[in-house]
Parts: sequence; structure tokens; C-alpha cells
Amino acid sequence: MKLQNPIAWLLVLVLPLGFAGIWRLQHKIDAQRESLSQESDDVLLRSRKLVKVMSLEYAPLLADIYWTRAVQYYGNKHVRGQANLELLWPLLDITTTLDPNLVISYRFGAMFLSQKAPTGAGRPDLAVQLIQRGIQANPEYWRLYEDLGFVYYFDLKDYLKASEAFLEGSKRPNAQIWMKVMAARIAAEGESFETSAFLWQDVYDSTSDPAIKKNAKLHLQLLKVREDCRQLDVLADEYAKRYGKRPRRMNELVWAGMLPGIPGDPLGFGYIFSDEGKAELNLDSPLLEQQLLIDRLGSQHR
Amino acid sequence: MRRAGVVALNTFREAVRDRVLYNLVFFALLMMIAAIAVGQISIGIEQTVIVTLGLSAISVIGLLISVFIGVALVSKEMDKRTLYALLAKPVRRWEFLLGKFAGLVLTLAVNTAAMALGLVLVMIYVKHTLERSDSAVLVAVYFILLKLALIVALALMFSCFTTPLLATLYTVGLYIVGLYVQELRNLPVNVMRPAIAAFTKWLSYLLPNFENFNVMAMAAHGKAIPGAFILQNTLYTVVYCTIVLTAAAAVFSRRNLK
Repeated sequence: MKLQNPIAWLLVLVLPLGFAGIWRLQHKIDAQRESLSQESDDVLLRSRKLVKVMSLEYAPLLADIYWTRAVQYYGNKHVRGQANLELLWPLLDITTTLDPNLVISYRFGAMFLSQKAPTGAGRPDLAVQLIQRGIQANPEYWRLYEDLGFVYYFDLKDYLKASEAFLEGSKRPNAQIWMKVMAARIAAEGESFETSAFLWQDVYDSTSDPAIKKNAKLHLQLLKVREDCRQLDVLADEYAKRYGKRPRRMNELVWAGMLPGIPGDPLGFGYIFSDEGKAELNLDSPLLEQQLLIDRLGSQHR
Repeated sequence: MRRAGVVALNTFREAVRDRVLYNLVFFALLMMIAAIAVGQISIGIEQTVIVTLGLSAISVIGLLISVFIGVALVSKEMDKRTLYALLAKPVRRWEFLLGKFAGLVLTLAVNTAAMALGLVLVMIYVKHTLERSDSAVLVAVYFILLKLALIVALALMFSCFTTPLLATLYTVGLYIVGLYVQELRNLPVNVMRPAIAAFTKWLSYLLPNFENFNVMAMAAHGKAIPGAFILQNTLYTVVYCTIVLTAAAAVFSRRNLK
């Protein structure tokens, strides 16, 4: 390219200036779009049958794309701390219609749907519907029965149906022996610390996804907190019987010889007594914020 | 038949010269990006998506080659006037057609085999091992090749009596219709007039059923594909291609090439 040519000179000038302008403009457009996109979450095609028909022979690939979209949607809402997950069901509905054998979408989809905010959409009814659809398409996969029992047990508190789901799952090929044990224990005891801890521990052990692992770990920690507080309240009751007043500080139980030292939560922060004399998490414990958030958003959903 | 073989070999050489196999670079890049990216943005479908994406890419790339090169097999020779020189030699018109068909199917076979190898390598990278159930992926690749052979035959037939543009439209149209043959059979025949119901049923068996070759979901979930099904699909393709190529030869032999 000879630079004596005026067009060549123009090009040398226009290229950097033009692209610099494009670069700045694109940034502005991105900012504009970002402000718009917060209000424009949408699933353009909500009819699962239409999507299936339009997918030609590429339904399994489209199912993977829809599943990834569901995960991204859930993740984005989770990061922003938004509890409104109204598009989660249409996305999962389409995903499982496109590929009824994509068991991961039933398993994790049900978890996203069933749990209380902020970890889920607080729709255990839809979670049950999703898993039942999964069982219909994959009747021999025992883990789906475990998931169904999980939703009935934790979210719907329907211990009879939870027990039935575990029992039904225990009859499927390769089902773990503890499924039968769970069925019997839930039928006899309803909710208990041991059962809850076992189920969350299984979620923790059986997933390789860091976000699901973190969620399971948090639930295990909060379960431990609840059980610790229950036991400390029993000790406080005994203290009240012995000394005629409830303890105001944890040290009082230690001085009375009822505890070897001040007990700590799973993160090592010592428990305290509230003004009402009930054991609770230390104000400095990061678990307190999580517990309050789950309780607050859970009560909003109810 | 030896003459058809020579035409086939030359068709393959021409495709290679025309850089048709360059699409393999695109496929390789797509698979590499998918293998690395999917694990980061989704949950639990790293292996499934590699299979579905790989098979879809093999199918789409193969479709583009079979339709666009398939319809140009005859028209290009006519436009360049090389057909006249060829037919002046002791080569029958049906041998020319058969050779063209075999040459493009050979090109597609080489292309598909190379992409299948790439897919298997990416699967090994993602899963660190291969299991017996992964053989379903190879069956799915074989079914894609059968489907492509049928599309080439259709494209070749249409290009024998119409323009390349219309031949492309007819081939793509018939391919899409062929994906919904099952839907045609599931139409509510009890609300139709008997004659229409009979016609619909008749039509659904006459049209090429491309849904026969769709085992992508089974391959993605490692489900075994019965040997009888593989045999039936192979026979279906052979019979259907024979019918279409015979029709193409009949049309082409009567065509006025002046």
C-alpha cells in the first residue's frame, strides 16, 4: 500500500479512529443493554411441544443448551440474591421435554425448584411434578426416588409420601441399601436430625458440582447448629430446674459443670443465649446471616 | 461398474481439491472450545454435551456438503461442458450418476470418519476413559452417514431435472418433511375422511423417514442400540437409495443434453 495515495492516508486515519469509536460505542451499548436486560429475562418460546417440533433432529443438543440456560439463570439470580425464579420452571419443562433422559436436569432442577429462597424457588410442588415426570421417563433410575423422598421430607414435610418414595426407590436396580432403612426410619420417626444429616451428607458426597456441594455443606452446618441449640436448651432447662433461673451466659453452664467448655458452631464461634434464654448462634458467626436469610425469605414464600 | 468406480474416485479427488475437507478444522475448533467451556458454564452435562454437540456438528456439516455438493454434481459438469466429453467415452449415463453418487458418499465417509475420530478423542479428554456403552456414539455416526447417503441420492435425483436452486429447495424440503413422518402417522385419522386418512398413511411410508437415523439421545446417554435396528436402517438406506438412483438414472437417460 503506497501512502502517497490519498485513500491510503484516509484508511490509516479512519481505521484506528473508526475502531476507537466503535469500541467506545459498544461499551455504551453494552451498558444500555445491561440496564435493559435486568427487566427482560424471558423464555421466548414457552410451548415445549413447539420447541420439540422445531428442534428437528437436534433435540438432545437443544436440551443441553436449555439446561445450561436454566443453570445460568439460576446462578445469576443466586449471585444477585434475587428470590424470583419464575422462569426456572419453563426452562426445566422445555429441557426435559427435549431430552426426557437427561436425568441431571430432573435431579438438580428439582433441587433448584424445591428449596426455600435464597437457595431455590420455593416451589416443591413443581419439583415433585418434575421428578415424577423423570421417573416416568427413567423408571429404573433409583436416585430420582431418592430426590422425590428428599422433597417430600424436607420441603413438604410429608413423611408418609417421603417414606413411600424411598421404599419404591429401594426396589429399583442398583439402589443403595440405606434407601430401605430411610423408608423405615422416616415412617417410624418422621423428621429427625440423623435422617436429615444423612440425606444432606449424601447430596454432599454424590455431587462434584462446587455450588451444590457448598449448599449441602451449609445445610449440614445449619442442621448441626439446630441440633446443638436444641441440646443446649435441654441443658438450660435442667440448669433452671437446679438453680431456679435460666442461664444468661454459656459460662454459667460451664461453671455448673454441665459443659466442659463453651461449645462452638461448625465454624468455631461460641454459642450464646438470647434474652429469652434460648441458645443461638454468636452474632459474629457468618452462619447467623445465612440462617436469618433462609428464615426471612422462607417466611416470605410461605 | 469399473467405469463408475473411476468416476467415483475422480469425484472424491475433485472434492479434496475443492477443499471440502477444510470443514474438519472448524469441527476440531468447535469440539475443543466445547470440551473446555461447557464444564465451566453448566452442571453435570460435560460428557452428554460433547456427544450431542459432536453428533450435531457432524450431521450439520455433512448435510451442508451433501445438499450443496450433491445438487452441483451434475449441473457443474454441464456448466463446464465436461459432461459431454465424458459421455462421448464409453461411459453410460447411469454409470456416471452412480459414480458421482459413490464419489460424494466416499468423500462424506472420509469426512465423517475424521470427525468421529475427533469426537472420540475429545470424549477421551473429557471422560479420561472409554466405556463399552460409548460404542453407541459410533453407531450414531454410522446412522448419520446413512442419512447423508440418502440425501445425496435425493439431491442427485432432483438435480437431474431441475435447476440447482430448486434442487436444493426440494432436497432440504424433503429432508425436513422426512423428519416429521412420524407426526404424519400420528395425525387424528378418525376425524379425517377415509380417503384422506389412507392417503396420509400411504404418504408417510412413501416419504424418506429421516427420524429412523436419529439416535443422538440414545448415544448421549450410553444406551445400547440393537444390532437388528442397525441392520434394518442399513437395508432401508440401500433400498431407498436404489429406488431414488434408479429414478434419477431414468430421468437423466431421457434428458436432452443439447
